[in-house]
Amino acid sequence: MVSVINTVDTSHEDMIHDAQMDYYGTRLATCSSDRTVKIFDVRNGGQILVADLRGHEGPVWQVAWAHPMFGNILASCSYDRKVIIWKEENGTWDKMYEYTGHESSVNSVCWGPYEFGLILACGSSDGAISLLTFTGDQQWDVKKISNAHTIGCNAVSWAPAVVPGSLIDQPSGQKPNYVKRFVSGGCDNLVKLWKEEDGQWKEDQKLEAHSDWVRDVGWAPSIGLPTSTIASCSQDGRVFIWTCDDPAGNTWTVKLLHKFNDVVWHVSWSITGNILAVSGGDNKVTLWKESMDGQWACISDVSKGQGAVSTITDTQQNEQ
Amino acid sequence: MKLKEINRTAIQSWSPAQHHPIYLATGTSAQQLDASFSTNASLELFELDLADPSLDMKSCGSLPSAHRYHKLVWGPYGMDAQGHPSGVLIAGGENGNVILYDAAKIMAGESDVIVAESVRHTGPVRALDVNHFQSNLVASGGNESEIYIWDMNNFGSPMTPGPKAQPQEDIGCVAWNKQVHHILASACPSGRASVWDLRKNDLIIKVSDHSNRMHCSGLAWNPEVATQLVLASEDDRLPVIQMWDLRFASSPLKILEHHTRGVLAIAWSLADPELLLSCGKDSRILCWNPNTGEVLYELPTGSQWCFDIQWCPRNPAVLSAAGFDGHIDIYSIMGGSSQAQSQRHADQISNSFGNLDPFGTGQPLPPLQLPQTPAAPATVNPLKKPPKWIRRPVGASFAFGGKLVSLENARPPQPQQPTSHVVHVSQVVTETAFLERSDRLQATLSSGGFVDFCQEKISAAANEFERTVWSFLKVGASICFKEEFPVKHTRFLFFFISDFWLLGEFRKRRSQQVPGAPGLQQRGGRLQDQDFNFYADFPYNIFLNITIDIKKKISFFSLDVDGLITQALLTGDFQGAVELCLHDNRMADSIILAIAGGADLLEKTQRKYFTKANSKITKLISAVVMKDWHDILKTCDLQNWREAMAAVMTYARPEEFSSLCDLLGSRLEAAEDPQLQSQACLCYICAGNVEKLVSCWSRAQDGHCPLSLQDLVEKVVVLRRAVELTQRSGPAAIGILLAEKMSQYASLLASQGGLSTAITYLPDNTNQVCSTAVSMVRLVQGSPTQFRGRQRGHPEFLDAEIEQIFYFYDFIFPQQLPQNYTPPAPITAPILAPPGADPQAQPMSTGGPQDVLQGLQGPQAPYSGMHQTQLPSQSMNASMPNSNMEGAPGAPTGDAIQPLQSIPAEKIMKKPIPDEHLVLKTTFEGLIQKCLAVAADPQTKRKLDDANKRLEALYDKLREQTLSPAIIGGLHSIARTIESRSYAEGLNIHTHIVGSSNFSETSAFMPVLKVVLTQANKLGV
Repeated sequence: MVSVINTVDTSHEDMIHDAQMDYYGTRLATCSSDRTVKIFDVRNGGQILVADLRGHEGPVWQVAWAHPMFGNILASCSYDRKVIIWKEENGTWDKMYEYTGHESSVNSVCWGPYEFGLILACGSSDGAISLLTFTGDQQWDVKKISNAHTIGCNAVSWAPAVVPGSLIDQPSGQKPNYVKRFVSGGCDNLVKLWKEEDGQWKEDQKLEAHSDWVRDVGWAPSIGLPTSTIASCSQDGRVFIWTCDDPAGNTWTVKLLHKFNDVVWHVSWSITGNILAVSGGDNKVTLWKESMDGQWACISDVSKGQGAVSTITDTQQNEQ
Repeated sequence: MKLKEINRTAIQSWSPAQHHPIYLATGTSAQQLDASFSTNASLELFELDLADPSLDMKSCGSLPSAHRYHKLVWGPYGMDAQGHPSGVLIAGGENGNVILYDAAKIMAGESDVIVAESVRHTGPVRALDVNHFQSNLVASGGNESEIYIWDMNNFGSPMTPGPKAQPQEDIGCVAWNKQVHHILASACPSGRASVWDLRKNDLIIKVSDHSNRMHCSGLAWNPEVATQLVLASEDDRLPVIQMWDLRFASSPLKILEHHTRGVLAIAWSLADPELLLSCGKDSRILCWNPNTGEVLYELPTGSQWCFDIQWCPRNPAVLSAAGFDGHIDIYSIMGGSSQAQSQRHADQISNSFGNLDPFGTGQPLPPLQLPQTPAAPATVNPLKKPPKWIRRPVGASFAFGGKLVSLENARPPQPQQPTSHVVHVSQVVTETAFLERSDRLQATLSSGGFVDFCQEKISAAANEFERTVWSFLKVGASICFKEEFPVKHTRFLFFFISDFWLLGEFRKRRSQQVPGAPGLQQRGGRLQDQDFNFYADFPYNIFLNITIDIKKKISFFSLDVDGLITQALLTGDFQGAVELCLHDNRMADSIILAIAGGADLLEKTQRKYFTKANSKITKLISAVVMKDWHDILKTCDLQNWREAMAAVMTYARPEEFSSLCDLLGSRLEAAEDPQLQSQACLCYICAGNVEKLVSCWSRAQDGHCPLSLQDLVEKVVVLRRAVELTQRSGPAAIGILLAEKMSQYASLLASQGGLSTAITYLPDNTNQVCSTAVSMVRLVQGSPTQFRGRQRGHPEFLDAEIEQIFYFYDFIFPQQLPQNYTPPAPITAPILAPPGADPQAQPMSTGGPQDVLQGLQGPQAPYSGMHQTQLPSQSMNASMPNSNMEGAPGAPTGDAIQPLQSIPAEKIMKKPIPDEHLVLKTTFEGLIQKCLAVAADPQTKRKLDDANKRLEALYDKLREQTLSPAIIGGLHSIARTIESRSYAEGLNIHTHIVGSSNFSETSAFMPVLKVVLTQANKLGV
C-alpha cells in the first residue's frame, strides 16, 4: 500500500522541483522556481514552516541534506549558477558557503557518504562537475571536472562507501581504505562513473545505452551485498538498471527496467535499496521491485501520493 | 557556448526528433559563393557527437550533387515502416526541383540515394516544410505563388492548397500549423502572409500590415497557440519580428524590436514555446520570449551575418547557425565555458607550424599555449529564463522509514485559481503479510497470549517440521506463561510433546513391521493398572495425568517388546520396564532396572530372577543405571535422536539438561542429512539456546526474505520469553548472530514504516554489530520518545542529539580507542562532571562546557560548537573515549546498570512536575506500592518494580508539558478510577486513550500503565 500520511502545502509561488526528507524523516526541504527553499517540520503528520531560505536568484532545482553527524546542513543548487550550503545554528538557518564556480545552471547536488566527511558533488549545465570538500574553519576545497558531460550534467549520485576488493565485512580496528566514487548523467546521453585516485578525479566508466538526455541517475544504497547497482533514466523514456558484481567495478551489465512513453525525470532508491521509485512526465510515479528471478516488475502506480501495491509472486518466499 | 563548427557555406537541416543519433545535413547553398567561385555542390551529413570534446563534427556521408540548394528539410517519413530508417531528406533546388533523398543510404555510401525527384516548380524552390502530423506530406513554395503539397506516398502528383494568390509573387516560406494539421501558411518577400485551409482547398486569411516595408524572411507558427504566427522582416528599415494572432488579424499582436538591421531567419523552439531565435544582418543572434518581447539571450557570435538558424529537434539546448563567413556553428543555449574553443584555436596555430619536431631536436613541440587574453575566458550568461525542458515538474524520492515524498504541481481546474504546490508524504508498505504477522507477534508480546499464538501456528503450520517446532515452543510457552507448573518440570512437558510425537513414530514403524499383533496389545492393557499404582505416589499430579494419558494411547497400539521397554524407560516407568523384561525373559535387564527402580521393585524382580535374557537395549539400560547420558548422546545413531532426546528429558539432571540438548543439537547440525540438520533446531529449543537456534535456522533459511525472517523472529521471541521466565533472569544476553538478525528485522520493519515496533526489536548491546549502527541511530532519532523510554539509565541532561553522536562513535569506531586520546572537552564535560559538580574539575577548553549546557537546556538544544571539533578529517579518526561508554546508549538496559554519575544530574536538571499533574504521579506510585505490598510471587514484584521505573517516562513528559490535553485529561480520569478502585473502568479509559492518541506520544508509558492497572485489578488492592 502507498498511502498518504501527510500532505504539505508548501505555499511556494511557482513550480516545486524537489522535496527531500532529512536523514531521520522528520524534516522536509522543498525548493521551487519561486527561488526559495523551505524547510518544514513534518513530525507526527504536522507541517510547521521552520525556515524560508532566500538567496538564490533563479529557480532552485535540487536540495540535499548532509548527514546529521555534521549538523543540520542543506545544500541547494539553482539556475542562478550558484550552490548554497545552508546551516542551522542556534535554531536559525544561514548561509554557510556559497559556491559560484559554475558558468551555467547547477542542476544537481548530492552529498557523499558520511565516511568521506562533508563532500558535495554538483553537476552543471556548463558540463562540469564540482566537488566541494569541507576542510574545516569555513574553508572549502574545490575540485572541478571540466567537460564531464558536454552541454550539461543533469544528475550526480554517490556510491555507498565500500572498500574495493572486500565489499562486505570490514575488519574493524583501522580506518578502511574507501574509494570515493559517484555516477553522473548528462545531455551527452551518457552515464559516467568517476573515481578519485590520488586526490584526482578520473573518469572510471562510460555507460552507453540511452539515446537521449540522461535526466537522473541513482546509485543504490549498499545492502551488504557485493553488487553495485545504478539506475538511470532519460528523456528517451527508458530506465536502465546497471549492475556490477566485479569488485574492481569494471564490468557493468545493463538491463532495461521499462520504456515509458514520456520523459523520465527522476529515480530514487528506497533506503534498503530494493525498491525504485520512477517519476515520469505527467506526474506519474511508479514503484519497481526486482523479483527473485531478477526481473523488474512494477508493483505500484502512485498518483497524488496514493496507490495499491501488488506483490510479486515469489515462489521461494513461502517455502521453508 | 559554441559546441561544434563545420567549415561549409551551406544550408542545413537537423535530423528528425525521432532519430538517434543526431545528424546535421548540409547542402551547398545556391545563394552564396565563396572566394573559390566553385559551383560544385554536395550534400553532406555530420554526426553530432557530444561525447567528443573537439569542435569537429564527424562526416557521416557525402554526396556530390548536380544542384545547389535553396532549402533543405529532413522529415521522419518512412522511419517507422523501415522503408527509410533514417527518414527522408527533402531538398529544394535552383531549377524548380524537389528531390527526396534516403538519408540512410547517403550514410551507407550507396549510389541510389534519390527516392524521388520532381521539377514541377518554375524557378527555385525556396520554401519547404514537412507536416508535423502526417510525415508523408511536404509543402513546397516556388516562384509565381506556386505552392505544392506533395504526398511522398504518391510523389508524382502534387496538389495545390488552393487557387494561386494574386498578385503572383515568389514564395519565401511555407509552414504547417503545429496544432491543426490541415492549415498551412505561406509568406512572400513582399511581406504578405497567406493562410490556407487544405480541407476547403482555399486561402482563408491574408496577414499583412500596411506599412509595405515588411520584407518577409521568416515565418513560424506558435507551437502551442494554433492561431499565432510570427513574421520576420528582412528590411533594414523595419528590422522587426511581428507576432500575429489570426483572431485579430488586422494588426500585429506584438512587435519584437531589438535587431538594428534586417532579420534573416527565425526559429521557434518546439521544446519551449517561450524561445524564439532570430538572426539578422546586424550579425546578432537573439533569443526572445515572443510572448513578452523580452530578449532572453544573445549568442556570442562572430562579426558575420547568419542567414539560417535552426533548433535541433532532438536536443532542445542545441541550435545551429549558418553564416556567410563559411561556417556552420553549433551552439548550446545553456551557456557554459568557451574553453574548448580557445584550446582549439591554440591547436590550430600549433598545427599550422607542423609541430612534428620542426627543429630536429628529436622531441615534438609542446602544444602552443596562447597568451591569456586580458578578458578571462568569456563566460556567457545563460538564458535569463530557464528553458522549459530543465524545469523538472515531478520527483518522488524515498526517505527513511519507507516514506515516499512526491511533488504535485497540479494545474488548477480553473486557470484563475492559483496552482497548488503540495508535497505528499506517503507510507510505502510492500510487505503486507510481513507487517500483519509482525503486528500479530507484537500483540502477542503485549498480551502474553503465547500459548494461543503457538496453537495458531501449529494449526497453520505448512509442514510437519514446522508443526513440531511450534509444538515444542508451545510447551515452553504453556509452562512459562500460564505459570501452572513448577518451572523444573519444563523438561517433562517437553517430553510430553516429544513422546506424543514418538507415538506417531511408533505407529508408523509398527504398521511397517508387525501388522496386527494382538498379544502385545493385551500386554499393554495389563500394564495399565500397575502403572496407575506406580504413579500414585509420584508427586507431580499433572505429569502423572499426562503420562497416563500417553500410556493409554500406547496400550491401544501394539508394539514390540523392545519398543515397550524403551517406552517405559523413557517415561521413567521402571516397574513397567521390569515387567516387560521379565515377560520377555530378560532377567539381567530386569534386575538391573529393578535396582534403579528402588528396593521394593528390586525385591520383586529378584524373585523372578531365574533365567537369563539377552537384549538389544543394554546400552540404554546401562545409561539409565549409570546416569551417563553424554556417552549415549555421543554415540547414538542419529536416526534415533528422538529417542535419545526423550531419554535425556526423562533422566538428565536439570543442570546438565541444557548442555545435553546442545550436544545432541550440535551432532544433528553436523549430520549430512539435511533433514537431521534442521531437526537440530528442536534440540536447541529444548535447551533454550536461542543463539544456536538462530544460527541453525539461518543456515537452513534464506534470511533475506522478509517472511522467512519473520518466521525466525516469531520463534525466537517466544523462546526467549520462555527462557527468560524460566530462568528468572533479566533479558538474556543477545549473541552477535541474534543481534544481527534482530537488527535486520528492525531495519525491515522500519523500511515498512513500523518505526515504533522496530525499536522494540533493536538489540540493546548492538555495539557488537557495527553494521547496524546506521539503522539504530535513525530509528532512535526518528522517535526520540521511545528512545527515552528505553534508555532510562541515561543521564537526563544529555540531549538526544548528543546521545546520537555517542551512538555514532560507539558504533562506527568500536575498536578505535587511541591510548593517548584526549576527549574533546565540550562533549565529555557534561558526562564526567555534571553541572553542580566542582567547576574546577571541568576541563576548560575551546567552546567550554557551559556553552553546550546552555544550549542543551533549550527544548531543541542544538549542539552548537560541538561539531566544529567533530568535523571531517579529525573526527573521522577520532573516537569517543572509553569513559563515555557507560552512559552511552550502547550499554545494556538492565536494571543494574544505572551510572552513578547520572543520579545527581537527573535531580538537578529535571524540572518539577506541574502541581496540577502531581496527583498523577502520587496516584500511580501509590497504586504500585499497594500492589507491591500485596504481591506474593517475585515475578509480579519484578514487573511492578519495573513499571515504577518506566513510568518515569510519563513524569518526564509531564515535566516537559509535551502531552496533549486529551491525553492529560485521560490520565486524570484513570487516576480518578484508581482512587475509586474501579480498575476495569480505568482500563477502558486506557484503551480509549491508546486508540485515540498518537502512538509515539504515548507508547513510552501507556503499556506500563496497563500492566499496573491489570495487576491492581488482579490483586484486588
